[in-house]
Amino acid sequence: MKDSFRQSMKWFHTWVGLIVGWVLFFMFLTGTLGYFYQEITRWMEPERPFIEHNISNERLLDIAQAYLINNAQGVDEWDIMLPSVRDQNLRVGWRHPAEAGKKRGKYKIKVLDANTGDEIERRATGGGRLLYRMHYRFHYLPTEISYWIVGFCSMLMLLAVITGVVIHKKIFTDFFTFRAKKGLLGWLDIHNVLSVIALPFHFMITYSGLLFFLFTYMVLSTNLQTNEDELDAMLDEIYPRTAHLEKANQAAKMLDISILYQQAKTTWQADELSYVEMFAANDVNAHVLFVRHETDITYNPEDEVMVNAVTGELILQKPKEYTVTSMIHNGFFSLHEGHFAGSIARWIYFFTGLIGSAMIASGLILWTTKRKPKQLKNPNGPDFGYRLVEQLNIGTIVGLPIAIAMYFYANRLLPVDMANRVNWEANVMFISWAMLLIYPIFRPANKAWYEQLTLAALVYFALPLVNVLTTNKHLGNSLLQQDWNLAGFDLTLLVVGGCFAFAAYKFRALQVNIRPSKQAIKKVEKQCVQAMNESLLPLQQVNKDQC
Amino acid sequence: MSNLIDYINFSSPRWPVFSRVLAATFGGYALAIASSLLISQLLVHVTGKYQAIHIGLILTFLVYVCAAMWVFSVKTAKKAWIGLLKSIFFCLALTWLLAKITGVAN
Repeated sequence: MKDSFRQSMKWFHTWVGLIVGWVLFFMFLTGTLGYFYQEITRWMEPERPFIEHNISNERLLDIAQAYLINNAQGVDEWDIMLPSVRDQNLRVGWRHPAEAGKKRGKYKIKVLDANTGDEIERRATGGGRLLYRMHYRFHYLPTEISYWIVGFCSMLMLLAVITGVVIHKKIFTDFFTFRAKKGLLGWLDIHNVLSVIALPFHFMITYSGLLFFLFTYMVLSTNLQTNEDELDAMLDEIYPRTAHLEKANQAAKMLDISILYQQAKTTWQADELSYVEMFAANDVNAHVLFVRHETDITYNPEDEVMVNAVTGELILQKPKEYTVTSMIHNGFFSLHEGHFAGSIARWIYFFTGLIGSAMIASGLILWTTKRKPKQLKNPNGPDFGYRLVEQLNIGTIVGLPIAIAMYFYANRLLPVDMANRVNWEANVMFISWAMLLIYPIFRPANKAWYEQLTLAALVYFALPLVNVLTTNKHLGNSLLQQDWNLAGFDLTLLVVGGCFAFAAYKFRALQVNIRPSKQAIKKVEKQCVQAMNESLLPLQQVNKDQC
Repeated sequence: MSNLIDYINFSSPRWPVFSRVLAATFGGYALAIASSLLISQLLVHVTGKYQAIHIGLILTFLVYVCAAMWVFSVKTAKKAWIGLLKSIFFCLALTWLLAKITGVAN
């Protein structure tokens, strides 16, 4: 392409990063929110009670079982999810019978009041799950098509990461270089720092993202090498499953789950139940799987205890067997999803995810910053391509966070009994995003940046206030109840609002600083047309050298 | 208007770039698949069939990335296409040869 390999790769990095940069930003940001999807869902269901302190696991299991006996009759398999650090309510779930024409019925979760054992009526919401699922299954597109688009974008991301490393001469020293300059060099340094600081994360998250759909993307290879049965056997080897006793169709009386739990408790020597799975309920083969909090990146058979629900005896399971490659494969998944992460690790995940989003954003801004001096000199104004990138940048980098906030607004403000409410929450988000993408077309870039940054700050600051007006699960109450999940959500909104306010202030300040010298710049430009001005030469030199 | 003519004009520098994009996207994909066949054929006696296929699959993305980078680093688009086709042919031929020698068909 260019004279040297590194020059070619610089060119390649620029365009590979630009072409789907906005989609990647969307994937990174919504994916990052996924690390807190349970907490987000909890906030979006304000009908749930506050955190319940000091209720024993046995009591919770009794309450859940009593509810299931009354409400899930004839259901063989059901689950009990105990309150955890991430989701502080007692939940039960089971799969409903399949509707006509569908393979499997819908899995429904009920949230129970841990004191009364009654079901809590919640508003219909997509919650955090819908939000994070968008990062690999685009909302309005068919599943299969969006997997392929996601794969294409991820592939370009992987290319951008690897070419980024290749073109980086001094990856180590640059890590300690930050030139707090305005304009091009400043943005270049920001982009470099954000990329290098979390490089292993960027690589891991992109590569593992591709691995999730390995058998979709590389179907040609598996089709050439295996037949259907072999593929099934291979998938069983890669994703091993625990073998279960089948239903014997012979009714039997089960012991209480809370009594069975004692087996798990003695095995673990600890009282740290995460969830319970029931199989073949009310059958002679009824058995229960007790699972404690995942603590390993890889599979740990000791996290699960299986008990016969009729006799109360321990069922010794053969641990799932992983081959070396499936260990690597599943290890990548585990790193991607971060289920094993405790509170601190989860926040680190969240911040590295944000760093990834910011890396993409800074790269996109860098593209325009680099071309700005030349574009401004254009007699007919900036090119269509340049303006498009600039508008997409404003509409996505600031617009998408506003749109996500609108998703939360929709959750609070749409009528609770509205038909199709879940879809409308998402529609509100995408309509707002569309509007924010269109808005910069009609405004000068500087004004649009400032106005959308201000709007973002307002929107995030006002959200906790709307929460106060519409629910009783607001900051005042959640702090009083020491419900840190709920309080954390509102506090995070305020911090995000603060960040946007600071960005808007900083942006304004930089503009004002430039303003007195604007005439000077015009003068320079005039002279530049006549003869190359000295003061612009080094800048152009920098353009060529640095980007 | 002149822009449009520029686009259609085959001697414009856009066409080799477009050609490289196609080479990287589809040629790179084909090479990735071909490499997975070769890798699994190489490993099949070491790790067993399923793991061999799996390793080949996991590595496809790296092969794909390297192929795409290579396509955009060589002097001309023509060279990129020829190189890709050669590599694909090499992978497939070697896979076939190995299968013949060891008697394990994929």
